[in-house]
Amino acid sequence: MQYSKNYTSIRLIFLFLSGLMLLFIVAPLLGLFFSTSLPGLFETFRDSEVTNSIGLSLGISALFTLLAGVFALPLAYIMARREFRGKAFIQGLIDIPIVLPHSAAGIAVLGFISRDSALGKFADILGFNLVGSPFAIGIAMAFVSVPFLINAARDGFQAVPERLEQAARSLGASPFKVFRQISLPLAKPSIITGLVMMFARGMSEFGAVVIVAYHPMTTPVLIFDRFNSYGLDYARPVAVLFIIICILVFISLRLLARKRKGT
Amino acid sequence: MLSCRKLSYTVGDFTLRDFSLELNRGDYCALLGPSGSGKTVILELIAGLRPLKKGSVLIEGKEYTRTPPQHRPVGLLFQDYALFPHMSVYENIAYPLKIRGIDKVEIRETVHTFAEDLDISRHLNRMPDTLSGGEKQRVALARTLVIHPLLLLLDEPMSALDAPLRESSVALLRSVSAKGITILHVTHDPSEVDSLANRRIYLGNSSK
Repeated sequence: MQYSKNYTSIRLIFLFLSGLMLLFIVAPLLGLFFSTSLPGLFETFRDSEVTNSIGLSLGISALFTLLAGVFALPLAYIMARREFRGKAFIQGLIDIPIVLPHSAAGIAVLGFISRDSALGKFADILGFNLVGSPFAIGIAMAFVSVPFLINAARDGFQAVPERLEQAARSLGASPFKVFRQISLPLAKPSIITGLVMMFARGMSEFGAVVIVAYHPMTTPVLIFDRFNSYGLDYARPVAVLFIIICILVFISLRLLARKRKGT
Repeated sequence: MLSCRKLSYTVGDFTLRDFSLELNRGDYCALLGPSGSGKTVILELIAGLRPLKKGSVLIEGKEYTRTPPQHRPVGLLFQDYALFPHMSVYENIAYPLKIRGIDKVEIRETVHTFAEDLDISRHLNRMPDTLSGGEKQRVALARTLVIHPLLLLLDEPMSALDAPLRESSVALLRSVSAKGITILHVTHDPSEVDSLANRRIYLGNSSK
């Protein structure tokens, strides 16, 4: 009897705390949606500055997510399969962008691409200024979001039994064929999750992006710019529109990943 | 046919010291020993899945000690069969042929021939996770045999099978052996190889 009473009280406390937690997430978003008028939202949707910024945010994030994949997947595979001295240190390095303040990450990226850097000087010779370019935005987005891809892919590769790779080797496959035909397809669900996370995190990045490129404006920078210059009422519809698009993109990619997994 | 000379290998707490083995063509050799005696490690050394630091492996007089696994004339049947879960039975059996660049028509013919031989033709479109233990073993065996290995290594091939299936597995391995393939069969259960092996080698824990 005593046990049952205790159990019920704990359950009620847990439900109450969980409800508060969910409310904490949902309430600001609902507040934002309810305080935005539908005509205002449509007007924002017709604003070319807003739509251009959304296209820029999604496009650059998608492109740099795919580019990062070329380098991130081999690294994730090594981290999953090899034991070596300094592995914990390398894992720490991979996780650094997650724990850095994003403005500090932006400063770091700026140093990497500024005209004083080797990369900046090289671009200068070719007639480009990297600072304030879409390339700078992409680098800043990738810097803060690539750990999500590397870690998800590493977990995916770790979950592939090494026996299957050995079987493929003994059947005549080269290490590259084993990677492409066995490890990669079997780790695909985790890799897709990592790509989605990196893409979503990259397109919503503000702190690092605003330091390397105020213009051309990504949507998070535009929201900040409108808030700073005109106030909350002008920033809110852009924020709502971008949140709707982010959620739609996120849901579509998750559904696509689930469908692929099912087939 | 197979000549292992003074193989030495250390992994974790386990050490294999100066293991030697000579097999003649067509031999069916049972490598017996308790768990932890290094039976599987020996198979993996012969297959090239572990890099040998000391000793040598020769097959048909040719040195394979430093040859990567994909270039050795060796087939290895894993204890858990290691079928690729994202490929159908057909694709599993066709896999070693596909990576050798054999054309599709020839692959189809070869897969059907082996599937018929091993009585798994009706399962070709199924996925590995829907197969029973005995069916998985036949698929894994077909996948290994399509490359015509000179030497077949079997790692506890019956440990995942129920008693009634073991009898048919014994018959299956006997028919494979009758084709003249040299077989090295690792097991901890001597009764498993009673009617199969013409040679027996016992590994103790002494190497530990």
